[in-house]
Amino acid sequence: MRLTGLAVRGFRNLAGLELEIPAEGVVVVGGNGQGKTNLLEAIYYLMLFRSLRGAKDRELVQFGEPGFWVRGTAADETSRNIQVGVRYELSTARKVVFLDGAEVRKLGDAVGQILAVPFGPADSEIVSGTPGIRRRFLDVVLSVSRPGYLVRLLEFRHALRQRNAALRRGRAQEARVFDRPLAEAAAFVAGSRRAWVEEWRERFGELCAAMGEPAAADLRYASQVEDSGSAEAWWERFEHSAERDLRSGTTTVGPHRDDLKIGLGGRDIRFYGSAGQRRTAAIALRVLEAETLTRYRGTAPVGLYDDVFAELDEDRQGRLLELLRVSLPGQAIVVAPRDAEVPAKLFDRPRWQIRGGQIVR
Amino acid sequence: MSAIEEAVAELARLPGIGRKTAARLTYFLLKQPRAVIERLAKALLNLAEQVKACSVCGNWSDTDPCLICADTRRDRSMLCVVEDAADIAAIEKTGEYRGLYHVLGGHLSPLDGVGPEQLRLDSLVARVANGSVVREVILATDPSMEGEVTATYVRGLLERYGVRISRIALGLPVGGDLEYADSVTIARALAARREMTG
Ligand SMILES: [Zn+2]
Repeated sequence: MRLTGLAVRGFRNLAGLELEIPAEGVVVVGGNGQGKTNLLEAIYYLMLFRSLRGAKDRELVQFGEPGFWVRGTAADETSRNIQVGVRYELSTARKVVFLDGAEVRKLGDAVGQILAVPFGPADSEIVSGTPGIRRRFLDVVLSVSRPGYLVRLLEFRHALRQRNAALRRGRAQEARVFDRPLAEAAAFVAGSRRAWVEEWRERFGELCAAMGEPAAADLRYASQVEDSGSAEAWWERFEHSAERDLRSGTTTVGPHRDDLKIGLGGRDIRFYGSAGQRRTAAIALRVLEAETLTRYRGTAPVGLYDDVFAELDEDRQGRLLELLRVSLPGQAIVVAPRDAEVPAKLFDRPRWQIRGGQIVR
Repeated sequence: MSAIEEAVAELARLPGIGRKTAARLTYFLLKQPRAVIERLAKALLNLAEQVKACSVCGNWSDTDPCLICADTRRDRSMLCVVEDAADIAAIEKTGEYRGLYHVLGGHLSPLDGVGPEQLRLDSLVARVANGSVVREVILATDPSMEGEVTATYVRGLLERYGVRISRIALGLPVGGDLEYADSVTIARALAARREMTG
């Protein structure tokens, strides 16, 4: 898939942009605060309609503006064109999403129409941060690659909120009737996550090795329910923890407490890995994300690279680029603080400058 | 506030009516003869003065008990449990059901502070309890998550009374509202109801 056009207004420091994106991709160079990361964030916003950096929508609105909008056009290998637009209004906190010019009834219907995979300095957080960040990584990958996942995930969250509301008020019977829908959604969510991990764990090891990591890398889905795909197993587990849940006033087991464990040489990378190893693992996860989308959506996502190469020594730069050539052959949009950080011999693409939220060519 | 503004504000409180539509309705009414406005106002007042919830089933009615509860030709061994009185009208339109009804007045939703006490459950149990002529209870709550759990909860309350408890088949769109389903779909869902077992 390649992004052919992008129009942005009032989004962070991007006051007004209307760009045609070269088919082969582009390198955007700009100093700190000039808007290069915001540009990637705006593109990513068209996939999930949520901030890449976890910001709230109202925080994305440029100061003094009534709201923002972002509109992107993309073409896949069959040259089918799609246009995705989103408009957010600050005063009403209303977000409207358009697909090919028509307003979509449910946001979920437009999620993942534009496919992008972000690479950036914050990715190390996936490896070293809290389990919630890793669950979010899995949820994003599955929401845009597995039909029905997003709907079931929202169902799970809804059932969880209902059950917790009953627990908070000490209503055991009312909480209990939500066990069934909760278990059914939990089985789909946790089962899908575990299946994804099983499908890709070997590839994860290969990718880490290809980037020069000598220790064996592995992925494991850690859940309190071994048979994660079984609604019956989850139902028994919820039943079993009913009393404890009532005492704590919240649901203490479920996919919302699971984790993606990343091992290196048999030990948890979170506690034993070096900064370099975590960076390697984070990049490998992003490559898995890209390969997953390519396999299940039939088109390679757009690669969004935020200052990725500067962090790596020349050997790893070369290895990464070689990897991306194979795994992420789609369009690449690269941003960097200085021209020299994306050597032309490694990455020969048109170059733009960004200054004060404006592209200067 | 002027009379026009007041009318617009009141109309805009109705579900599905925004300020624009409310203003359009107001200006339409202004152009009507006085008699038309009086008839409308009277009809609205009658709603408040004459329509009450049936003390037996909870249906809206001018009479108490309602016409359905009072109809001796209806099958008193069957009770259909619905969330809202509007669901009764939708089921009646199919012409396929000849039993009685019971309106819960909503569904369980802890998030909205709706627990069993907020629903008409005591009167339901009383209608089904020992000595009752009711042989089958059809749970026709909405095919949403809350409708499902409400059905589960009601079954838990009624199972000790030895009545057959069934759930309408979910040919209805999940997350939908019985009130808005078409007659054919509702008739099918009723006909294909299944016994609900623990
Ligand atoms: Zn009645």
